[in-house]
Amino acid sequence: MSDDYAKAIPIPGPESLPFWEGAKNHQLMLQKCSDCAHHWFPPSTVCTGCGSRNIEWVASSGKGKVFSFVIFHKLYHKGWDGEIPYAVAIVELEEGARMLSNVIGIPVEEVKCDLSVEVVFEDATSELTLPKFKPV
Amino acid sequence: MMEPSTHLRDKYALVGAGHSRLGKVPGVSAQGLLEEAMLNALDDAGLKTQNVDGLICRGPDEIYTFHQVMGERLGIDASFSTTLTNGGASQVMGVALAAMAIDAGMASCVLVGYGRDNWSRVHANKENHMRGSGRPQQMYGMEFGPEFGYYGAIAAHGFGAQRHMHDYGTTREQFGAISVAFRNHALNNPDAVMKKPLTMENYLAGRMIVEPFGLFDCSLQTDGAGAVVVTSAERAKDLRQKPVLIKGFGTGNNISGWFNGNNMTHTGAIQSGKTAYAMAGVGPENIDYAQIYDCFTYMVLVQLEDYGFCRKGEGGEFVASGALGLNGAMPTNTSGGQLSEAHVEGMLQVVEGVRQLQGIYGPERQVPNAEIGLVSGHGGNTVCESTLILGAI
Repeated sequence: MSDDYAKAIPIPGPESLPFWEGAKNHQLMLQKCSDCAHHWFPPSTVCTGCGSRNIEWVASSGKGKVFSFVIFHKLYHKGWDGEIPYAVAIVELEEGARMLSNVIGIPVEEVKCDLSVEVVFEDATSELTLPKFKPV
Repeated sequence: MMEPSTHLRDKYALVGAGHSRLGKVPGVSAQGLLEEAMLNALDDAGLKTQNVDGLICRGPDEIYTFHQVMGERLGIDASFSTTLTNGGASQVMGVALAAMAIDAGMASCVLVGYGRDNWSRVHANKENHMRGSGRPQQMYGMEFGPEFGYYGAIAAHGFGAQRHMHDYGTTREQFGAISVAFRNHALNNPDAVMKKPLTMENYLAGRMIVEPFGLFDCSLQTDGAGAVVVTSAERAKDLRQKPVLIKGFGTGNNISGWFNGNNMTHTGAIQSGKTAYAMAGVGPENIDYAQIYDCFTYMVLVQLEDYGFCRKGEGGEFVASGALGLNGAMPTNTSGGQLSEAHVEGMLQVVEGVRQLQGIYGPERQVPNAEIGLVSGHGGNTVCESTLILGAI
């Protein structure tokens, strides 16, 4: 945890507050449809599977696979100075929803599509926790 | 089941095309560049601003109701006018919308164009350059991206390229074949920004930007503008140029998301192409050349698959076979494209698509016996696609 955190701080939209609150409590929160059991991300007010308004927030298992990834070799934001190259991935969770995050804990050359990963929580500041993923 | 209206086929025509100075053009705004392109397009058609009663355009996304800005600067009142905001899919869509507007009796002669002063803005200060784009930071969204170090269209498209490589064994050398082919085209285009030959060795030696994309997978940062004039095929007969018929058009929008389903390897071009082919009454086997939206090399490869020029997953072999050359199986981006001519968000693809059928080039650039061409637009940061099928009279 650091007070001189130099990376971008997300500004949550009203619909995504439960996600960020969950992350602070080290839970990966997803929306689920109470009618059809579809899970999705990013947050909205409607089930993206069936259009139902009857939706809830649930905790994900945090387990999934890398659907795809890129490796940043160029510095786009000063907060990443010294961390190049780093991996940004689309992770497909067991529940079916996909989310963008970082794969950490292995050299970037070892990140592959379909790599099995699980969530780890990185406490970035006293107010912000980022869900990231490491190989299982 | 949706069916495109075939009554529009061959009823409307592109009667003039023009572009502005391209590349590093300091001291002129996006609006000024677009005026330059629009006047060139009108000159090409033998028309004046007084003949125009429709204006469809796009400029820097932060300028509100850009068509009003342009109308005032050009001195045009228009019975039909709008700004399109569909990223790189807007420009081809503008031509389709022009035909629809004329068909609905809303206008008779429509100017369609796009202008940008991207190079000048991006390089004006270092901070902008760090962001990898001239756009305001907030346009990337304020969550689920920047906090993970995710910036720029390059990364979004890179996800698609990476998944395609995983699913189909596509290689960086195959992406490189696209860069090399388009550079070869650019060397025959005196207006192209890139003047030096590019070899596969050069491509592979290019520094990595956002892997799997290196420097030569990325389109150029340029100032520039392009414009075309659309009117009825009947009226076109009396104008200066050999008219280029609009045979068909389509759109496809995978706006459920690039990350959704298999959208990043099966793009909106599948739907958009299907619609355009049906309207035009042709198939991929009838197309003589393609002008494909090439923000990054991968997007060429996947669109060639999705338009049916080769089978899904075989785009890599197809581009590596020499297919994109002037005498190849599908001559593609014959002006050099956004990778080597200039990046004007697909508008120059429309301009080149028209000029190939006007038949104005010498043998070094003219696709032999070209009668039908396909132009694609791709944008909205990955998920929106538009398609135009053009025919010689």
